[in-house]
Amino acid sequence: MVPRSLDIDAHLPLTPVAFEILLALAGEDRHGYAILRAIAERTGGRIEPHAGSLYRALGRLTDEGLLAEVDGPDGEGADERRRYYRLTAFGRRVAGAEAARLEEQVGVARARALLGEA
Amino acid sequence: MLYRAFLALLPRRFRARHGQEMERVYREGRAAADGAGRGAGVRFRLGALGDVAKTAAAEHARALGLGTRTGGGGMAGWLEDAGWALGSLRRSKGFAVMTMGILALGIGATTAIFSVVQGVLLRPLPYDRPDELAIIWGRLTTRNVERFPVSPPDFLDVREASPAFAEVGAVVTFQQSLVSADADAVQVPVAGTTANFLDLLGVRPILGRGFTEADAAPNDPTLQPGQPGFLNAAGLLSHSLWQQRFGGDPSVVGRIVEVGGGPMEIVGVLPEGLRLHLPRGSNSVSEPALWTAMQLDYGAAPRNNVFLQVVARLRPGASVSQAQADADRLAETLRGRFPSKASTGYEFAVRSLHDELVAPVRPVILALMGAVGLVLLIACANVSNLLLVRGSRREREVAVRAAVGGGRFRIFRQMALESLILALGGAAAGTALAWVGIQTLISLRPDHLPRIEEVGLDPGILAFAVAVALASSVVFGLVPALRNSRARLATALKDRGRTAESHSARRLRSVVVVAEVALSTVLLVGAGLMMRSFDQLRSVEPGYRPDGVLTFSVPVPFARYPDPAARARLLDDLQGRLSAVPGVERAAAVFPLPLGETAFNGRWGTADAEADPSLFRQADFAMVLPGYFEAAGTRIEEGRGFSSADQADSAAVVVIDRALADQAFPQGGAVGGRILARVVDPENASWFDVVGVVEAQRHTSLVDEGRGTIFFTDRLVGSFASAWVVRTSGGDPTAVAAAARRVVSEIDPDLPMADTRPFQAVVDDAMADTRFALVLLTAFGGLALVLAGFGLYGVLAYVVRQRRAEIGVRLAFGAAAAGIVALVLRQGMGLAVAGVAAGLLAGALLSGLLESLLVGVPAGDPLTFGAAAAAFLVVAALACLLPAVRASHVNPVEALRED
Repeated sequence: MVPRSLDIDAHLPLTPVAFEILLALAGEDRHGYAILRAIAERTGGRIEPHAGSLYRALGRLTDEGLLAEVDGPDGEGADERRRYYRLTAFGRRVAGAEAARLEEQVGVARARALLGEA
Repeated sequence: MLYRAFLALLPRRFRARHGQEMERVYREGRAAADGAGRGAGVRFRLGALGDVAKTAAAEHARALGLGTRTGGGGMAGWLEDAGWALGSLRRSKGFAVMTMGILALGIGATTAIFSVVQGVLLRPLPYDRPDELAIIWGRLTTRNVERFPVSPPDFLDVREASPAFAEVGAVVTFQQSLVSADADAVQVPVAGTTANFLDLLGVRPILGRGFTEADAAPNDPTLQPGQPGFLNAAGLLSHSLWQQRFGGDPSVVGRIVEVGGGPMEIVGVLPEGLRLHLPRGSNSVSEPALWTAMQLDYGAAPRNNVFLQVVARLRPGASVSQAQADADRLAETLRGRFPSKASTGYEFAVRSLHDELVAPVRPVILALMGAVGLVLLIACANVSNLLLVRGSRREREVAVRAAVGGGRFRIFRQMALESLILALGGAAAGTALAWVGIQTLISLRPDHLPRIEEVGLDPGILAFAVAVALASSVVFGLVPALRNSRARLATALKDRGRTAESHSARRLRSVVVVAEVALSTVLLVGAGLMMRSFDQLRSVEPGYRPDGVLTFSVPVPFARYPDPAARARLLDDLQGRLSAVPGVERAAAVFPLPLGETAFNGRWGTADAEADPSLFRQADFAMVLPGYFEAAGTRIEEGRGFSSADQADSAAVVVIDRALADQAFPQGGAVGGRILARVVDPENASWFDVVGVVEAQRHTSLVDEGRGTIFFTDRLVGSFASAWVVRTSGGDPTAVAAAARRVVSEIDPDLPMADTRPFQAVVDDAMADTRFALVLLTAFGGLALVLAGFGLYGVLAYVVRQRRAEIGVRLAFGAAAAGIVALVLRQGMGLAVAGVAAGLLAGALLSGLLESLLVGVPAGDPLTFGAAAAAFLVVAALACLLPAVRASHVNPVEALRED
């Protein structure tokens, strides 16, 4: 599917689940359950979507060109093979832009003494 | 698999793209959640199902382009369409009310029952790391006695038995009088524990200190209270006793009160809401007002005097089966050391505390879950039918609007909004119903379901039921809406929708109705079986006649009356004065009260048992004052009851009931015979002369036939009968309660009197299990019957409308009105009969699940099945008759002109 928009700002802000998915895929390709585990572990279980919400988000991010579906690594049997997701270059840029946006917000929050100094 | 069924809710494209992977992720997540404990698994399942419903709604909306607006765009368009939908619902109030009502019933009933399931069966116990708690019972395998308490020396052995036990404690509850300087004597439930028991549960006092081993040190028996060296008992107050009796005064810690006639120092106060959750068979009270560390020499107590409920905390990672294996080895050793353990086939049973607690109620709750699940299914089926019928009725309207330029999207949106409004209205009413339902459930069974008082509306479950109802109404509302929004004007106008609905859709609706009828027949069978059980239970002859009898308890404080002779004088005095109260015909004391909460039983045998102790059997014991049989209304079938002469010289005589006589003297001749029973001497059985036989007693349970009851004189056992049974001549036995209370306090103002209530109330309580299942299954059965009737009516009314033209032609050609009625009836009753037949079959397969709840009725009771079928066919006939009669009134001219 042709990406709806290559304008990065049109994708911001990302929903928390979408951003977590992009983060989980930043290092390596993963299949659905691995993404879910990675998110749950990183957030200490605060964000733990069920399958439906996860695949809705994955489907949408793929349609928008932020992710691409790829075959799983070799070595798994044909029927064992799972669908893996990979962060596209565009997706990487969107995730970066979202991070920058959040960082700016955090900066403001810190300036107004909402956060303690680390 | 439920999850896969739910995936069918998703739009086809989405399902094809992600369905398989979603199922995989679901399975992996489920495995992980199951590993995390009971509650987590259930929460995960419900959450996952709700998530699919949510995803389905969102993706359908997306697939239909609700995101890309054409015409009527923006907020204004949505509001306008919502207004239109509301208006259209107002025009068909009957339909709207019925749909919302059905949804509300489905949601309300499901949420109420599943909240109870969650609260009673699934929620962890309110103690520290409750999964590690186990209860340890004694078992007498040769006498079929399961769930026996444990004797103090056995407890000491169990404590050392297994490395799997991190800690082992024990508790026993009893009633004691409480006397303190500033208020009247009251009788309070007391929990006597080992010093470590509350620590073991993880309960810490909010004030003062917990028990220490020093609190549990036995007293020197030669010392009197107050003498140097005498150790006062240590007591912890429950929060509610602290508030009620001591006004929440923190300085109560350190005060000395008199409990059971002995001094007790209050050392602390326990947290609010603390309950003792032990299984029903343990005869323990759930809310002790006072906790004390028993000053007991565990090693010196007799091995056969069993009264302790033993609770253990397992080491992290240790399993119940590991502990059981160690307990089995201990039991084997004990059987080798003690002949009485060998002859009873003594064993220990180590069980998870939570499992034991819910085991007795599991069948009734599972039956209810099944019933309520069926009701929800029926409700959804009904709503979908109503929506389908309404949808097809409006095809013409929609076609016209489409023709005059109404956008397809707007028409669709209006219909979808209509479904949504219906679903939301139903959900709101359903939430209210669920709340009412839970309050009703709690009021039906205050004591018998463990922890029912803590049950509340469970938001997760409510969300689930609402999601199911939303999904069913939105999906079934959208199917016709979709079809309608595509309806072609020409066909719709010409054929008036007759061909617009495919053959398969019509068959689908028939199948839905047949299924609905079948499901409600199953429920009717269940309800019928419970009604028959209740009827049987009400006509049971318990072996006493409770009407007109008042019962209350006056426990004699041992510390005030340590001498049996003094207790005997007190009881004689009480009996004499109570009998003299105007309106009292007869008064006598017994221990324990029939169907009461205390167990008293022991072994008996005939001459064979003297040679072979394994031939001893278990019977219920009762000790009574002379006149008990007359006061309780128990018929003496042979011989005589007790006289004051039996009481006076403590003669070794007994009265036995018919059930025991039939076992002991199968050839008859019980009176004048002898039996062995162990009652006084803890080690050995002794001989008793049988002087009388009374009718068979249901002494411990109304549901089961008694195993045999032996009555002893109270004097023989030690004069502590505490339950008074007072037969009155008036209609209302409680009329003498005040006079009885006066008599008791005249004799000794510090004597507590408690549990005053009609004997009939005690008997009614014993029916609570059956009544609970009866009320609910009957309510669900009736509900299902009505819903299925509506369903049948809806479909037939629709069919008649469809066939108006045909019926008109028939009438025009001279068909009799009666023939038309028969035609429609035949069609409707065909569906009903098919449904009832399927329902009876399913009922026959499922009624076995109710087995443990049935009393005196076989699960396959033909009368019940016949009655359920008949009841249903009558309702079906009524549901069919209205459309049939309407069909026969069709005006042929009008019907044909419409074409």
